[in-house]
Amino acid sequence: MTELAENPLLEGLRPRRTPAPCALVIFGASGDLTRRKIFPALYSLACRRLLPEQFAVVGVARSDWTDDEFRERMEHAVREFGRDDFDESVWEWLASATRYLSMDFADEEREDRLAALLTELDEQRGTRGNRVYYLAVPPQVMETVGEAVGKRRSTEGWTRLIIEKPFGRDLESAQALTELISRYFTEEEVFRIDHYLGKETVQNMLALRFANGIFEPIWNRQFIDHVQITVAETLGSEGRASYYERAGAIRDIFQNHMLQLVALTAMEPPIDFTAESVRNEKVKVLKAIHTPGPKHIVRGQYGTGYIDGKEVPGYRDEEGVAPNSMTETYVAAKLFVDNWRWADTPFYVRTGKRLARRETTIAIQFQRAPHPPFEDAATEELKPNRLLVHVQPDEGVSLAMAAKVPGQGMRLRTVNMDFIYGGAFRTELPEAYERLLLDAMLGDQTLFTRSDEVEEQWAIVDAIVAAWKRDRPAFPNYAAGTWGPAAANELMQRDGRDWLKH
Amino acid sequence: MSASPVHAEEWVGEDVALADVERALWQMRDASAEGTEGPDLRTSVMTHLAWVPAEWREAAMETLAGLEERHPSRGIMLFPDPSAADGIDAKVSVLAFPLRGGRRHVAAEVIQLTLRGRRATAPASIVTPLLVSNLPVFLRWRGELPFGSPELEQMLGVADRLVVDSREWKDLARAYRELVPRFEQTAVSDIAWRRTWPWRLALAGLWPEIAQAGELRITGPSAEALLLVGWLRSRLERPVELVQEDAPKIESMAIDGRDVPRPRDETSSSSDLLSAELDELSRDEIYENAVRAASA
Repeated sequence: MTELAENPLLEGLRPRRTPAPCALVIFGASGDLTRRKIFPALYSLACRRLLPEQFAVVGVARSDWTDDEFRERMEHAVREFGRDDFDESVWEWLASATRYLSMDFADEEREDRLAALLTELDEQRGTRGNRVYYLAVPPQVMETVGEAVGKRRSTEGWTRLIIEKPFGRDLESAQALTELISRYFTEEEVFRIDHYLGKETVQNMLALRFANGIFEPIWNRQFIDHVQITVAETLGSEGRASYYERAGAIRDIFQNHMLQLVALTAMEPPIDFTAESVRNEKVKVLKAIHTPGPKHIVRGQYGTGYIDGKEVPGYRDEEGVAPNSMTETYVAAKLFVDNWRWADTPFYVRTGKRLARRETTIAIQFQRAPHPPFEDAATEELKPNRLLVHVQPDEGVSLAMAAKVPGQGMRLRTVNMDFIYGGAFRTELPEAYERLLLDAMLGDQTLFTRSDEVEEQWAIVDAIVAAWKRDRPAFPNYAAGTWGPAAANELMQRDGRDWLKH
Repeated sequence: MSASPVHAEEWVGEDVALADVERALWQMRDASAEGTEGPDLRTSVMTHLAWVPAEWREAAMETLAGLEERHPSRGIMLFPDPSAADGIDAKVSVLAFPLRGGRRHVAAEVIQLTLRGRRATAPASIVTPLLVSNLPVFLRWRGELPFGSPELEQMLGVADRLVVDSREWKDLARAYRELVPRFEQTAVSDIAWRRTWPWRLALAGLWPEIAQAGELRITGPSAEALLLVGWLRSRLERPVELVQEDAPKIESMAIDGRDVPRPRDETSSSSDLLSAELDELSRDEIYENAVRAASA
């Protein structure tokens, strides 16, 4: 704002959001996340010239690779997972900015070598001491890396720390990690990633609610009967068993993605779209969620079943999973947000692996019309209005509403009014990691979770998990390829409601 | 997203009524959706009108071809042929582009109308029934703007935004002067203005030294040169002299003898440039002031 006031030539120019010169250091560079998400995202940003001209990437991992070997692997990754056609000139630019350092994260000497390499890059690439450290590492080494980076942080320029989920495994460990990180970094320098927040359709939830005057007046307990949020996967543990066995659905999805979707759906309008305002409102929602009792929580684990017509093994038969594993692959809950807007309005949420289809949706079910002046026969198949936000796939929004069936007499049917992203905006939706990497380089924390947000999420999860210690359900309790355990249906049916099936 | 349609339906008619065109559109949309999960989605973004005199026909079709995929609009191309016998000839196409997953399509509709004889003087009465309700109307006027002519006045009456490329104009100073009063009537986009964007950004980077600029030297097209000097005059609120050497695109620029760093090469097709303008809805006061200052 000050810059614009001083420089009248900038008004109306809307310059591209290009970050200041910087070096990005990826810890865990040999991992799947770097290969599938981070490097393809960097390449897409480079294609759109959204990275600064003076830029460097340093991959750090234990694997004994050279710079060239790392570049070659990342080139394969970009070709395989990138959303843009491969362009030699773009790749050459990115490859020329890429270095690799093989090291054990606890090796002090190699940590010093990394610091020296970054200083060299400041000279060679003009990165001016600005650093973004990306901790794409397992939770058990997060503290080691965070401390090593913090001790050697550059005294010139700015420093930002991106931390992948999970941020801790319970409230206590999250607080300990926050305490350690805060010894070296301020909260404004810490960017905790929940990649769901980088998805266009999740951000569209804010646009839908706060840029359309018609929704906000009815977005409350007076008009909304209930909310259903589904985060369903068809995949199994997919080689992540060692992580998943410790995390389960509650830590893998519920603690972060699911509670973020609840917060975005239930939050009050922020006064502006700054990071603090948006996150303040989300934290208020998380604080208002009261701990669900045992009758309001269902957990499950899949057994054998069929996905895409093929038989798939049960969770306990997958590689790396204990044959008597009690890890939940499914969680459903009935949540209440105890505030003026939402009192007594249930939020039914469910997430699971090996479910009937892959989808993430937020369904807002409105109250029935109080007195439809039609004969019963005309309305027998009529459903209440429902606003369905498709987060993925088929990104868009649809509104179920009643319409007259053409012909004699008055018969009504529910029809859908669709807004499909691809029907209006014929551009590929950017990947969440593109947006989030760019935002971190720009220092914009709006789409990242704050420490108090994470702690509120863990407080809810800890209370649920504590109750689970008292019983031992009979797993597996749902077949792969179905919509989860029967108890989840009962959770809804007790209230005279049903889960959406499609 | 695929760059080409999965299929295209086409209907051609001579001496047609508008009802024939509307009927053809419905039939083709039904045919296009056969075998998919539901009817083809129609545009939810805009109606794109284009007034295309004969000499611009080829260029307009080329731009349109690149545009349909990005802006699935209802496009109405009007080809005036005032010397021919009265009548309307039509060619209507429905191009179906797949949505992700391919289970449904989004349809781009292109209506090409040749307005023969006196029909070319009453275009608003022809396009109004074909506009998609509730959507903004963008009017791309190819070539010179015939200020005061009934066809331009009528078309401005139905459009929410006029899109021109002042590079296509001959007497620029006069045209800019005549354009100024239109700013109160309709929002205007100028593709020549869009082309100056990277150079404006480069010039803004010279702040604060540029605040006292007295001379802008440009090797490039007249339209861009005039708009840039108008922009500097209006933003800096001071007189700035223009020294221009003609070239097909901006090749170099200097302020008071000091070279302006060349921005990264941004090669944009005519479709890219028009597409960017179609994303704008409100008035661009910075552009309007640049035109005022360029024509003063």
